[in-house]
Amino acid sequence: MKNVESNHFDVIVAGAGTAGITGAAVAASRGLRVALVSTGPGSFVLGAGCVEVQGIDRNTPSLEDAIGFFRGFTELAGCGFRGGLDETRLLPTILGSFQTVSLAPFYMWNGDPSAASQVAVVGIRGLSTFDSNYAAERLAYHASKLDRGAKYTAHEIELSVEEGTFPGTLQFGNRYDRDVYFREELRDALKPIAAKANAILLPGILGLKSGQIEIEWLENQLGCLVCEMATLPPSIPGMRLFNRLEARLRKAGVEIFAGFPIQQVQIENGHFKGVLLEAPARPLHLTSETLILATGPFSGRLLGASSFSVNRDLRPLDSTGAVIADNLYAAGAILHNSTARGGNAMAILTGYASGMLAAGVGVQYAQG
Amino acid sequence: MRKDDISLDNCLKCADCNTACPMVTAHPAYPGPKRLGPELERMRREGIECDSDWLEYCLGCHRCDLACPSEVNVSELIARAKAMHKKTPVRKMRDWWFARPGLLGKLMTIAPGISNFALGLHPVRGAMSGVMKITPERSFPHYKSSSIRIPDAGTAKQGERVVFFPGCYIQYNEPELGCHVVQLLQLNGFKPEVASTGCCGVPSLANGDAVEARKRAEANVNSMVEAVDAGAKIVTACSSCGHMLKTGFANLLEGDAELEKKAEKIAANTFDLGELLVAQQDAGKLNTRFEPAATKLKLAYHAPCHQKSQGMGRPWYNLLRQVPGVEIVDLNSGCCGMSGTFGFKEEKYPVSMKVGSELFESIRNNAPQAVVTECATCQMQIEHGTGVKAMHPVDVLLNAYKESARN
Repeated sequence: MKNVESNHFDVIVAGAGTAGITGAAVAASRGLRVALVSTGPGSFVLGAGCVEVQGIDRNTPSLEDAIGFFRGFTELAGCGFRGGLDETRLLPTILGSFQTVSLAPFYMWNGDPSAASQVAVVGIRGLSTFDSNYAAERLAYHASKLDRGAKYTAHEIELSVEEGTFPGTLQFGNRYDRDVYFREELRDALKPIAAKANAILLPGILGLKSGQIEIEWLENQLGCLVCEMATLPPSIPGMRLFNRLEARLRKAGVEIFAGFPIQQVQIENGHFKGVLLEAPARPLHLTSETLILATGPFSGRLLGASSFSVNRDLRPLDSTGAVIADNLYAAGAILHNSTARGGNAMAILTGYASGMLAAGVGVQYAQG
Repeated sequence: MRKDDISLDNCLKCADCNTACPMVTAHPAYPGPKRLGPELERMRREGIECDSDWLEYCLGCHRCDLACPSEVNVSELIARAKAMHKKTPVRKMRDWWFARPGLLGKLMTIAPGISNFALGLHPVRGAMSGVMKITPERSFPHYKSSSIRIPDAGTAKQGERVVFFPGCYIQYNEPELGCHVVQLLQLNGFKPEVASTGCCGVPSLANGDAVEARKRAEANVNSMVEAVDAGAKIVTACSSCGHMLKTGFANLLEGDAELEKKAEKIAANTFDLGELLVAQQDAGKLNTRFEPAATKLKLAYHAPCHQKSQGMGRPWYNLLRQVPGVEIVDLNSGCCGMSGTFGFKEEKYPVSMKVGSELFESIRNNAPQAVVTECATCQMQIEHGTGVKAMHPVDVLLNAYKESARN
C-alpha cells in the first residue's frame, strides 16, 4: 500500500471560481496532489465565464502561457475556449447589446456579427426571460452603428414542457442533458430557421453537463452555427462550464471538498500549515505544503481582510506590507483592484501563476 | 437565535441549489429547493398557509446545502416544512411504517422465513400495492434474525474501544456485514462492541415524522453517551446513520439543553468506518497485510449523498484504490434516486428511477464487475436499475486481507 496521507496535500486551493480552478489544474498538471476546497461555483452561476483582456498589462510575464494553458485545459474538459490575447469579438447579450471579449467558450464564440451575415435570434414561446423581438431589434441597431453588416431576424419556436410547468432555461438545460427526444425536438423546431440563416442565437439551454460532442451534434444536424447567450441565474452556459471543469479536475486526481467553508487558516511563524473546514460534527483538518487563496471578492475575512495586495510572487501582504506566510499565494478577485475590467483574465493569469509557484516553478507575476 | 434562522436571509436567489437538486434535474415540475426552502419559509414564518405535496419529493440528499455559496441551510428548512405537511390517509399510514424500520425489523425477524416468503408472494405484493401504495416493482430486502457476533480476538482485547452502530439494515437485513465490520475493526487494532440501539431516525425524518425522529434521537443519545464519556468512538458503516449521528441529533433535541449537549458529544465522536481507517493510515497504523491479488477486480465507486454531506472526503474510495488488484473509478454521477424508503412508494417509483438514470448509464458505460457503495438503499437501487452487483466497501477490503491475518 502506498503511504499516502489522505488529508495531507501538496497544495490546497481555496475557491472554485476561474482563478481557483485554473490554479488547481496547473498544480495537478505538474504532478502535485491537490485539494480544492469550495462553497459554491464562483460566478459561473451568474455569467458564462467569457474573458476580456482589456485593462491587463500585455507585458505581464506569463500572461501568454496562462492563456495557452487555460485554452488547453478547457479543451480537455470538453468546453474549449476560442480566441486569444490578440482577438476581440463582440458577443450578443440577451438585452441586445454587445459585450467585448477576447476568449469565450466555443458555444458562445460564433455570436459575433462578423462571423455571420444572416443571424436568427430565436426565442422560446412562454420563456419570460428572453424576448427575441426586442433582442433582434437592438442587435440590428447596435450592429449598424458599429458598421457590421449582419442582419438580425426574430423568431419564436415552441418547445414542449413538463405538465404543470412553465418554460424555463433550467428545465430545458436538464432535458437537453438527459432526454434524447428533447434534443431532437429542439433540432426539428430550429431546422426551418436554420435553413435561412448562417447563425442561430439562442438563450442558454444546451445542457448543464453537455460538452463539445453534445452541442456540436446540434450544429451539425442544423448545418448552421449556434451561439448561446447567458440568461438570468442560473446561467446554463456558466454552470455547464463549471460542471465540465470540475469533472476534469476530478479526472486529473484533484480531491474536491465542496460545501464546507473554511473556518480557520492555520499560520505559524509566517508559515502556512493547514485549514480547518466547517464539516459536520467536527472540523475537517486538511494540511498541505502550500495554500492558494482564491476565495473571491465576497469571501469572509479569513486572514484579517477581504482583499489583499500581493508582492511579485503573489504572496499576500498584511496591512503593514509584510508577507503573511511564505507558502501562501493569492489569486483572482481577492487581489486588490482586480474586480474592474478583465476580471476573468486576471483570474486565469494569477490562478496559473499561483499554481506554478506552488509547483516550485519560478513564474514571476508583476502587478501592473 | 439559531444559525439557520439567520442564514435564511443569506439567500440571494442565485439558484445554485436548483441546479444541484437531483429532483429538479429529473423532474422539472418539482418546485426546487430554493422555492420550498428559503422562499416559502418566509411565508411559513408569517403564518401563511403554503403546504404542498411537493414537500414529499425532497430526497433529503443535502446537495442543495453543499451547493449554496451563502451557507443557507436549505434542506433543514424543507425538512421542517415536511414535518408539518398534511398527507392523505393512505400515505400517512404507509409512511408511519416507513418511518419505523426498527419496529418493522423487529417484527419481521421474529420469523424471518415466513416474512421473506410472504414478502415474495405476488398476491401479498399486489395487496401492498393496492392498500398501502407500495410499489410491486421492487423486491424487499430479506430479513435475517442472526445477531452480529464478536469473535474472540486475542490481541484485540488491548485495542482502543469503539462502539459499532449497526443501524436497521445491517441489524435486520445483513447481520453478516455487521460481523465483517467487527472483523475489520479487530484487524486494525480496535476493540469493538455493538451498540444496542435502534433506528438512527433518518427514515422517520424523511417520512416527515419529526416526533418519532426525536424519540429515536433521544434513545440513541442516552444509550451511547456513557461509552463516549468513557472515551470510546462511535463507528458507523451506513452513510445515512453516520450522517444522522453527526448532524441530526442536536437539531432534533433542540430545547433540551442537556440532551443537546449529549448529542453534540456523540456527533463529535462519531466516525464513518472508512474515515476511521483512513485516520489509522495517516497515523501509520493501518493493517496492510494484504493477499497479493490473483486476479484484477474492476470496481466502480458510487458516493452516497449522505457520504458527501459528512464532509470527510472520499475515505473508502481512497482506501480501496490502494488494495492490490483493485481497479476502481469514482462514478461521480449524482444521486441514485432511492433515498431510503422513497423509491418503495408507488407514486414515487417512476421519478426515483428517473433520478437514478444518469448513474445507471454511467455504470453501464464503465461496465464494472461490481459497484461499491456504503449505502444499503443505494445498493438496492443500483442492482435494480442496472443488474450489476452492488456491495459494501467493507467486503472488498476484508477480502483483501490474507487468510492468516483474518484468523
